[in-house]
Amino acid sequence: MKIKGSTMSRNRKESPGYLSVRKAAVLFAAFFAAGIYNAGKVAAQDITEKNMRFIEYDGFPEGSSAWNSIGYNPHDNTVYVGITDHRDKVALYIYNASKDNMQLKGFISDMARLRDFQWQAKIHTKFVAGKNGEMFFATDGGESREEYFMENPKGYAGGFMLKWDPAEHKLTNLGMGLQYESFKDVDIDTASGKLYAISYPQVHFLVYDLQSNDLKDLGRLGSTHVPRMLFTDRWGNCYYVDWRQRLVKYEKSSGKLLFAEKSLPAFEGTPGGYIVTGITAFAKDEGRGVIYLMTYGAKVIAFYPQEHGIGRVEDLGGALDIEGNEKWRYYIPNLNVGNNGKLYYLVGGHGMYAIKDRSVFVEFDPKLKKPKILFEYPSTVFVEATGCDTKDKEGNLYFAGKRNVPKSERNRGNLGELGDRPTVPFLVKFNPDKTVQ
Amino acid sequence: MKLFFAAALSICALQSSAQYDFWTPKEAFAIEVSLENASPMKRLPINRNAITALAVSGDLILGGTSADKGLAPFVFTASLVKRELTDFKDMEEVVPGQARIRSGFSKGNNNTFYAGTIPGDLSKGGGHLIAVKLSARGEIEIRDLGVPIPNEGVFSLTIDAKKNTLYGISYPTGIFFSYNIATKTTRSFRDIVPTRKDLHTLDEFVLGPDNYLSKALVESNQGLIFGSFPINKLFCFDPKTQSFQILSDSIPEVWGRKSLGQVESWAKARDGKLYGGNAGDGQVFELNPITKKVKNLGKPAMMPHIKGLAFARDGKLYGVSGGVPGYTHLFSYDNNKGFVDYGNPEFDMVAPGIEQGIKWRGFRIATLTASEDGKYVVMGEDESLSQLLVFVAEGK
Repeated sequence: MKIKGSTMSRNRKESPGYLSVRKAAVLFAAFFAAGIYNAGKVAAQDITEKNMRFIEYDGFPEGSSAWNSIGYNPHDNTVYVGITDHRDKVALYIYNASKDNMQLKGFISDMARLRDFQWQAKIHTKFVAGKNGEMFFATDGGESREEYFMENPKGYAGGFMLKWDPAEHKLTNLGMGLQYESFKDVDIDTASGKLYAISYPQVHFLVYDLQSNDLKDLGRLGSTHVPRMLFTDRWGNCYYVDWRQRLVKYEKSSGKLLFAEKSLPAFEGTPGGYIVTGITAFAKDEGRGVIYLMTYGAKVIAFYPQEHGIGRVEDLGGALDIEGNEKWRYYIPNLNVGNNGKLYYLVGGHGMYAIKDRSVFVEFDPKLKKPKILFEYPSTVFVEATGCDTKDKEGNLYFAGKRNVPKSERNRGNLGELGDRPTVPFLVKFNPDKTVQ
Repeated sequence: MKLFFAAALSICALQSSAQYDFWTPKEAFAIEVSLENASPMKRLPINRNAITALAVSGDLILGGTSADKGLAPFVFTASLVKRELTDFKDMEEVVPGQARIRSGFSKGNNNTFYAGTIPGDLSKGGGHLIAVKLSARGEIEIRDLGVPIPNEGVFSLTIDAKKNTLYGISYPTGIFFSYNIATKTTRSFRDIVPTRKDLHTLDEFVLGPDNYLSKALVESNQGLIFGSFPINKLFCFDPKTQSFQILSDSIPEVWGRKSLGQVESWAKARDGKLYGGNAGDGQVFELNPITKKVKNLGKPAMMPHIKGLAFARDGKLYGVSGGVPGYTHLFSYDNNKGFVDYGNPEFDMVAPGIEQGIKWRGFRIATLTASEDGKYVVMGEDESLSQLLVFVAEGK
């Protein structure tokens, strides 16, 4: 299968002049972060611009973003990212944290041997590691084009589950999920190798047995909007939320869904559309036996899972509190926990900003239950981050970041994201305890 | 207000730049019927609540469900005014071993509704006819009328209320039967049972009884009972002569796909004309019950299935087409505008714990009906946790 897009346009985008502009922009971003670093807003005096680094993706100038398509492979200390042009081209990048090296491994449609009618617009799921170092993820139609076209020749066939074998540099197509449906997230029970998945737009919870090729549809759990996050506990149970924002647990010992009695905490006045969207990010602190959750209504929650039954939930308060803003109205589809036990996340993106057209990088201390702004960025430097629980063996935290393209840079490449401003993606590496530059 | 718009804008931003608008009738709502671990609220538990039979009686929606393998279905009521589930009865406590109520509800005398069941294991007994009475508060009383055809379920059902007689088709064989409610006598007929040759053909296409037996029956104003049988044929049964007529016109077909022909729903217009839906390819057709001629009105959407049809007080025929693996499209048909596709119905759901309201989008709808005055059009979902979607038709 040929790579889509004309040679002429690729050459133009990959011209030295163009690349130099992109690299300059990323360097500018990092330095600009330092420039706007405001002593009055510093949470921890030892965290400076040198604790954060933006790493760009070479070789795919059309690539505009990643949405939660990031994950860590502990077997070889690598970070996986899926970068999309938001149309029909998705690239797999692997960052080797030990070698400090980012590599483009190829394009999903080629490596998974997909035909044109099986086009995929995104990887929307995180990457999850199997017990032998293989990485699992799944594909997405990208919303606008996939819904309703269905059996039309322009329609969307459905999302695929995929496995990357880093030893063989080989992508294996594990097949489709539900016909016409995308995947918004996956997770894995490493002991059994079972994959958990959530479909879009019908919000069906799926369990896929790699050994038997059995795909079980446990039914619809959501309302009009698909919560984007699945997560597992250390026993391999999987969690999601229903339309009341109640935790739903797939208990692997029984193979059944358990529903929490109560909804997760939410601020009074949180609109229903925020409630049904549920959890936008999570991060596990295995040592403390806690999984931190971020809701679309901007609550930080500590969840203490247990092998059987639904575990304890603790409301840690708001993710950010800026005067004049509703407490529930902060866009935070990302979360990491540092080795210091503190949470880190970027607030902003998708048209929702804590401060007009600026995103803020926040440290949250679960003990104090308080957020503190570390950095503040204009959207043309760092607008949005996605990704959860992505930490390498040295305690470096990773986010899939992107920035809006300023008007002065436009028309230099086809960087458009459907229905949004043009954006440029980059990998964010952050370590609260040491410099990463 | 500013905040509301800001919130709405941000949700839109997250949700997508979708290329459609949801249909917004003046009055519409969703009723949360199913929810796991819902106590103290009344809700149906997971995997037992696919709403496959519906009727409306005054303020009450009467529903019958289908359950997953090994589980029992429910009969339930919900209030249109209160917009909540009012009562439910576990069929396991009424007639053990039943799995599905998919016959619809046929209204008889004394405000009694009749339905049929399909058991989970036909070797252990047949499906039952049941009589359901509702109190003004929605409390349900079910009477077991027994098994009309031994070791067969009740797949479809209709009633001639004047004659106090039910007519049905058994599952999986496809035996037509009549049941006199007063005398409790059953007569069975094998006239529309698929022939061995037809069964062989259907088997070649890997089609089972759910794919070829008539999913709905209707009584014309002349007292004839209409339905379909393989392959792609229409019949009528004349209770006076106790005989069948095979119509010369068949179900509208897509060339080469005749074996999929199956009537899935019926509605009767004020003028007595019958309107049917073909499950196989999703055509709606008009059947003149006197001339017995069929007119193909076309397909409201590209998908197969017409799982429900009903006339509302605005004179329009409403229906649901599509379904798994696609989504349901709610549509209307009238002579002026032809088909109008409203897409997935998405209405507001308000209930304790979600007082601010959430949007509920009906992806998979199993059945549709209208209240007797045509004011309310009610749809039931076919999900692991199924809900009701209701809208008020225009007019008085």
